[in-house]
Amino acid sequence: MKTKSRSAKILVAVILAVLSFVYLLPLYVMVITALKSAQEVSAGQYLLPTGQPQWSNFTEVLFGSQRFRSEMATRLGNSIIISFSVTALCAFFGGLSGYYLSRIRSRFSTVLFILVGIALYLPYQVVIIPLSILMAKTGLGQSHAGLIFSYMILNMPLASVLLGTFFLAIPRELEEAAEVDGASRIQIFFQVVMPISLPAYASVAIIIFTQVWNEFFLALSLASRKTQTVQVVMAEAKGTTLVLYNLQMAAALIAVSVPLIFFLFLGRYFIRGILAGALKG
Amino acid sequence: MAKLRRRHRGELTWTENLVFLAPLLFFLILLYGTLFWTIYVSFTDWSTMAPNYQFTGLKWYRFLVQQPKFKVDIINNLKWLILGVFPTVTVAIFLAYFLELTPFPKVEAYIRTLILYPVAMSFIVTGTVWSWMYEPSRGVINTLLRLLGIDANLRFTTNPETATYWLILIFIWQYLGFSVIIVQSSFRTTELQELVEAAIVDGASRLRILFAIILPNIRGGLLILISLLLISTLKVFDIVYIVTFGGPGIATDVLALNMWITTFQQHLVSAGAGLGVIIFVSSFILVIPYTIYAFRKWFE
Repeated sequence: MKTKSRSAKILVAVILAVLSFVYLLPLYVMVITALKSAQEVSAGQYLLPTGQPQWSNFTEVLFGSQRFRSEMATRLGNSIIISFSVTALCAFFGGLSGYYLSRIRSRFSTVLFILVGIALYLPYQVVIIPLSILMAKTGLGQSHAGLIFSYMILNMPLASVLLGTFFLAIPRELEEAAEVDGASRIQIFFQVVMPISLPAYASVAIIIFTQVWNEFFLALSLASRKTQTVQVVMAEAKGTTLVLYNLQMAAALIAVSVPLIFFLFLGRYFIRGILAGALKG
Repeated sequence: MAKLRRRHRGELTWTENLVFLAPLLFFLILLYGTLFWTIYVSFTDWSTMAPNYQFTGLKWYRFLVQQPKFKVDIINNLKWLILGVFPTVTVAIFLAYFLELTPFPKVEAYIRTLILYPVAMSFIVTGTVWSWMYEPSRGVINTLLRLLGIDANLRFTTNPETATYWLILIFIWQYLGFSVIIVQSSFRTTELQELVEAAIVDGASRLRILFAIILPNIRGGLLILISLLLISTLKVFDIVYIVTFGGPGIATDVLALNMWITTFQQHLVSAGAGLGVIIFVSSFILVIPYTIYAFRKWFE
């Protein structure tokens, strides 16, 4: 299927140029604007790397200032606590139920699978009102635990199905050998299935982490001032500091840094997770 | 021995059931509990800060439908569904095919990373960056055009006539890479590769191969991709919230944003619940073909 004719080379060059421009421009603009002063931005002189880079923009965004009150450092902490907790808990418990779904064939497990399948596509809008009542009634809304708990409700089905899909691909012989040796299902899961599925866990963890880190609707509706995530504070900053695009871009870079680092260094797991979620589930 | 055979049929002891299932069941019950709770709320008369579970039937649905905003929402959501999904899928198919054909492996690796990185970004971040790109007076695109000597002064999302289209463009930008890798991986089945090889031997042109052989054979992958994109565009909230907040006026309002404003700003909770139910039912209908397909695959 491969050719190296001249017209093919031209086509490749054109597509390369167009895509590079369209996808690198926003990234470039984000970085370059974040390093400009407010004067340079309002004069329209921010597209070239001239002048003194304003690193202080980042400290201003992180720790707050007169013109940027929505300091991000604590919110970054909130996002980290919430996202890592949800990811770890969902991977652990989702692994258990994913194993059940992938191994047990009964009428009950079919019903369960259908319920989980529908749950995957449940819009957050249809659960948010009761959730906010629960958060207010139990007082959980004021703590990280409340948001962690809410995100678990919404991400457990996904974690179970994704991990279950990976478990389906594991040859049964391994488990049967352990079974003959008298191991219980629980032992088999923790001693045989889990250790050889670590790459699967990595993929699922990255997907869940990115989803929770980037989630906005639930975070906006449930978070109190003490538990606000970076996404919420960014939306708030955009509403109140409409003019200061350099600070907004600095905030955007900070908000995107964590998942982007995961993407750059663990891209393979990332892609595998996306494909598992899309193609097999 | 008897114990072993019992296990082979897949039966578990009580403790095993408890360990494997309790967490999922607990969260599933909560999830479905909140779903039915919301459905019930939509039929009650809750329209202030304080809960009111007095049953009123369809009162708040009628209220919703009569609002001018509702019609705008439906039209905008339809625009999102059509323009957010089909252009993305079409471009993704051609781009994925191009990546398969390209004789330069480095080009392929580069493009995949290049168009996929937005998947790691939130709509809030993307929306913030594109707000700056779109900013009419000093924003990036108009400034760039001015440098090239073109005084286009595009109004982007400040023009109520076209604002939604510019928002949809952000969505396409963000989801293109995701779509390409899904299409590309559905190319890579051995049966399909053999069919393509055979067609090349027969001397079929590349475009003919794409339309006559590849497309009919990746229907499963396309169904999945289209369903996922349909759901995302139906639920679209973040982009609209951050870039225009439904404005100018109500020109870019969508169901999900209306739901949030109705519930959390106007405290018309029953009406908000009704909008939630409408979004739920529509997304449920949209994923039916996909769900059937996925269940068949899982249980085959």
